[in-house]
Amino acid sequence: MKVNAGNLKKGDFIRYQNEIWQVQKAEFYSPGKGSALMKTRIKNLLSVKNVDYTFKSNEQVDIVDVESIEMQYLYKDAENLHFMDERTYQQFTVPIQLVGKAANFLQEGNKFFVYFHQEKPLSVKPPMSVRLKVVETEDAIKGDTVTGAKKPAKLETGVVIHVPLFVKVGDIVVVNPESGEYVERVKE
Amino acid sequence: MIIKTKIENLKNYKIYLNVEQATHEFFQKKGYLKVDLPVLSPALIPESYLEVFETEFRYFDKREKLYLTPSPELFLKRLLVAGVGNCYYLGKSFRNSEPNSSFHSPEFTMLEFYKVGATYLELADEILDIMKFISSSLSFRAKSRNPIQSPMREISPLAALGRNDSDIIYKGKKISFEKWEKFTVAKAFDKFCQISKEELFDENLFLKRAQEKGYAISYSSSPESKFGINSVDNPDKNRDRQARTINFSYQDVFSQILSQEVEPKLGKNGYPTLLYDYPAEMSSLAKLNKDRKTAKRVEFYIDGIEIGGCCEELNDWHEQKKRFDDQIEKRDRFHMKNHAVDNGFIETLQYGLPDCTGAGIGFERLAMIFVDAQSIGKLKLINVK
Repeated sequence: MKVNAGNLKKGDFIRYQNEIWQVQKAEFYSPGKGSALMKTRIKNLLSVKNVDYTFKSNEQVDIVDVESIEMQYLYKDAENLHFMDERTYQQFTVPIQLVGKAANFLQEGNKFFVYFHQEKPLSVKPPMSVRLKVVETEDAIKGDTVTGAKKPAKLETGVVIHVPLFVKVGDIVVVNPESGEYVERVKE
Repeated sequence: MIIKTKIENLKNYKIYLNVEQATHEFFQKKGYLKVDLPVLSPALIPESYLEVFETEFRYFDKREKLYLTPSPELFLKRLLVAGVGNCYYLGKSFRNSEPNSSFHSPEFTMLEFYKVGATYLELADEILDIMKFISSSLSFRAKSRNPIQSPMREISPLAALGRNDSDIIYKGKKISFEKWEKFTVAKAFDKFCQISKEELFDENLFLKRAQEKGYAISYSSSPESKFGINSVDNPDKNRDRQARTINFSYQDVFSQILSQEVEPKLGKNGYPTLLYDYPAEMSSLAKLNKDRKTAKRVEFYIDGIEIGGCCEELNDWHEQKKRFDDQIEKRDRFHMKNHAVDNGFIETLQYGLPDCTGAGIGFERLAMIFVDAQSIGKLKLINVK
């Protein structure tokens, strides 16, 4: 399917120069005097390299058809995330680099959507938010009530993020896996 | 689109107000007349790349089409013909089909000013003076507010490196307004994308070179590409639809290469960069240089972002009429909405626009530099996005 580059959005898979890329960022841009453009950052799914490319906003771009299949996340090794299709028990791997920062926030045993193109896994669709338990963090010093003050906290997946001072070990926090930012604390 | 209240931007907004005030002070000191202008107009200047907002005046059975002005140019030039002298407008302008992004908003603040008798390069230097003035006045304010501690903006370690009073820190880098880094467009295309002068100024050679570099110069609007794979299975349905090749215009490809290969290199060396002498095709309202290939137009960049520009205004009304017709033909060719053309403007030009240079600056973009903000949205208390 072809779309105008002006309609590209983050997360789209495109075919460009005969390779498959995922759009990481897409921003409309128009010079004061001149034609409208779409500035994108696209990630090559083979080389895992990011490239900044400016399309004409009326240029036709090939959108790659992808399927997203819900799978169980088993574990990660040095390079890959391992998933299993629970219907077929077939296992698939996705390079960590393709998933980026969000890979640090995926809890083993949980289900996530994996993108497929022609039966090959392309990448993982990061959830909007994840809930993770705090396993390590220092108690806040009493009287330190500066608003907006943050401290480091280690979550159950091993990743360290910054949380407000009132967060304690054992608390469940909501995190945006793409930005790695703390959203809120939730009651269990 | 939705309305969002952004009270957390109050601090940025207050700096924005100071930038605005300093700008008014600068023009007052230099003797420019501040002009308030309508944003609704019954006719506009045709420019091939601009999409406009259209609305309607209603009174009982009476209907009249009105447009939100994409720039105050046609009003200010009328005033110049009437002899108003140096003048400026700081207010809203509107451009359709420009979605919100870090550096865009369909509704934005335009700073436009005209100086009689000035050349385009002279006015460019005055733009540098404006930035110097804004910067000094912000730094003066910061100091007078807190005379003991040095102001917030100077906490950065870069402050120690021989900072001038009018230098600023944007995204962690020092920018000085003491001078321009300057390139002609031809020099920049040669230096940053290996496109020669001969190629740049010849439409066919330019498109050929662009194609060699991997840019799309045409596209096919075949039934397949338009309706997806399904249409292949059902050829009858599409028999009457003929595939045709549509060429991108010189402007389209020029803008793309400029954005992809040149702009990221501009305004990165501690000074704003001035790009000047644009191809005539890119400047429908500017006077041409003696070579007849380049126009007396400049744009300036900070950290890879185009902030604004100026050009020596065309005042030969025959030539202006010809270029308008050309722009209208282009709008037709690219299926853009054709609005009512301001023919009164051509008539006005016949009375004689004085030799002058006009500058247009995206005021939010300019303010972003002084606020050290990464997007227009960060300057606003109310966002409609």
